[in-house]
Amino acid sequence: MVSRRLNSRLALGLLIATLAQLILAGEMQRCAVDDTRKELCLSAPAQRIITLSPGATELMFAAGAGDRVMAVVNYSDYPPAALELPLIGSHTRVDMEALMALGPDLVVTWVTGNPPAQVELLDELGVPTFAIEPRTFAGVSSVIERLAVLAGTEQEGFAEAERFRIGIASLTEQYLSVEPIPVFYQVWEKPLMTVNNEHLIGKVLKLCGGVNVFGDMQRLIPRISAEVVLQADPDAILTGSVDGVSDDQLDEWKKYAGLTAVEKNNLFFVPASPISRPTPRLLDAIQTVCEKLENARERL
Amino acid sequence: MTRSLLGLGMLALASMAFALALGSVTVSPADLWQVIQGEGSTLHRTLLLDLRLPRTLAAFGTGGLLAVAGALMQVLLRNPLADPYVLGLSGGAAVGALLAMLGGMGTLIISGSAFAGAMLATVLVFGLAHGTGSWTPSRLLLTGVVVAAGWGAVITLMLAITPSYKLPGMLYWLMGDVSYARSPWPAVVVLAVSVVVIMPLARNLNVLARGPMQAAALGVSVRPLEWTIYVLASLLTATAVTTAGSIGFVGLIVPHMLRLVLGNDQRIILPASALAGGTLLVLADTLARTVIAPEQLPVGVITALLGVPTFLYLLHRSR
Repeated sequence: MVSRRLNSRLALGLLIATLAQLILAGEMQRCAVDDTRKELCLSAPAQRIITLSPGATELMFAAGAGDRVMAVVNYSDYPPAALELPLIGSHTRVDMEALMALGPDLVVTWVTGNPPAQVELLDELGVPTFAIEPRTFAGVSSVIERLAVLAGTEQEGFAEAERFRIGIASLTEQYLSVEPIPVFYQVWEKPLMTVNNEHLIGKVLKLCGGVNVFGDMQRLIPRISAEVVLQADPDAILTGSVDGVSDDQLDEWKKYAGLTAVEKNNLFFVPASPISRPTPRLLDAIQTVCEKLENARERL
Repeated sequence: MTRSLLGLGMLALASMAFALALGSVTVSPADLWQVIQGEGSTLHRTLLLDLRLPRTLAAFGTGGLLAVAGALMQVLLRNPLADPYVLGLSGGAAVGALLAMLGGMGTLIISGSAFAGAMLATVLVFGLAHGTGSWTPSRLLLTGVVVAAGWGAVITLMLAITPSYKLPGMLYWLMGDVSYARSPWPAVVVLAVSVVVIMPLARNLNVLARGPMQAAALGVSVRPLEWTIYVLASLLTATAVTTAGSIGFVGLIVPHMLRLVLGNDQRIILPASALAGGTLLVLADTLARTVIAPEQLPVGVITALLGVPTFLYLLHRSR
């Protein structure tokens, strides 16, 4: 069932890619709609690209246009080639002069991460901008395809998007029938914050058979008290850390020996940047989270 | 007297030239001259005319507004600690702006809403301080400080219940930065007009600064004058906050610095505040965007780093 659906998707992808080739041959405009539903049309594939978030940098490389990225913002640490690129400030304060001096023909912005006034200024100066912020697995593959269309790298981009789709589909199938266990994901320690089911991290938990104990909360990143965590008594507690190395972020919970997660030693660290960026590396993050939850089940 | 104003004016012009010449991209003097003559490459024109010039003007306008508003508040409240924000104006503006952001409005409406919030804060404090009885500076100050605390609580509450994806935009606004200024013109025009309006009143302000009793005895109608200062200072602050968020420090320190050097004559202090406040913010903003370029610093850091030692030196020397 799943594989047939994938085949039809692959066919559709190829069809779009072929159409894109035709567009190229006819020297027509390449158009894509960004995550604020604004359409951007370029008369030629983007050659001089600037990305204003670490996630956008990763996605641009995933779309096969990494060699067209001229400059990035702070913390663009993946893939390693991105570390070699010149910086034009941070995503909260972009050096507009440095940006204009590079003469970009495409600036990929971050819907909620960049200061609105700076993005508006770019629009006023006539710099083509494309705002992205995927909030679903499908959104990740779609944004890779849209970036590939703008850069004229459909071949690599569509293949990568398809690889991601297949990866998600096969992981979904693999963990479809595992035993559900209640899980708490700690986004931040002080103040204590978690995610609901709408958040990409919430979707990762769900895929792995974790039942997010705060999944039904209304806010995307709710602030909660330690009391409700104790009350929910999750079987496992997860948090993100640099490279997934254990640190002291979960030590607070060890005080409560009655917590199932503490009693069964189910406190886990996962690499923070793959799970918090909507990029193809989510596949690695899902793999890690699913394995941790498998460990948790065994210890129960 | 006029000599010192002339000197400050020259300094202001020099600081603006400095701001235009300096940036994270180097533009040679020859290229600069070409742009001034209406020639030059497209890039240089964009850098100078679309990026540096509006930002420099916005910085000058905002700095000038804050310094003049601070000088007026210090006379009105007869309290050296008064600054443009002491009566909760920036809090009202912030609540207005954040409300508009919560509603998903564009930058123009956010600015309008911030201005409305600042004006509401003004009316609220004035009405409450007026109350049933007397309208004394200490009563006004106390009302303002408590209302400001109230705004602070509302801001915290809004930040706590806002969907996280809207938070960054709000935090940018609260931090205050000239780079987020959309248009320099409101600040510059309001500054110019208000200095022209306030100058004829400066003599009366000198008398008022000595105390309301003395002022009344000398034939100054104290109540209307205080009222005018209050409204004007509020209008100046509201314009500044709407342009670049709440940038601290300038409004408190610049008037005091000038008093230490020039004496407490409002006829000099008010226009001097406009020039010196503008100059300080232009210099600070230029450094903020170039010191560790391409990284950009918040301008408040630089105003404090420049202002604190200068002020302490002047204060130390003045005894």
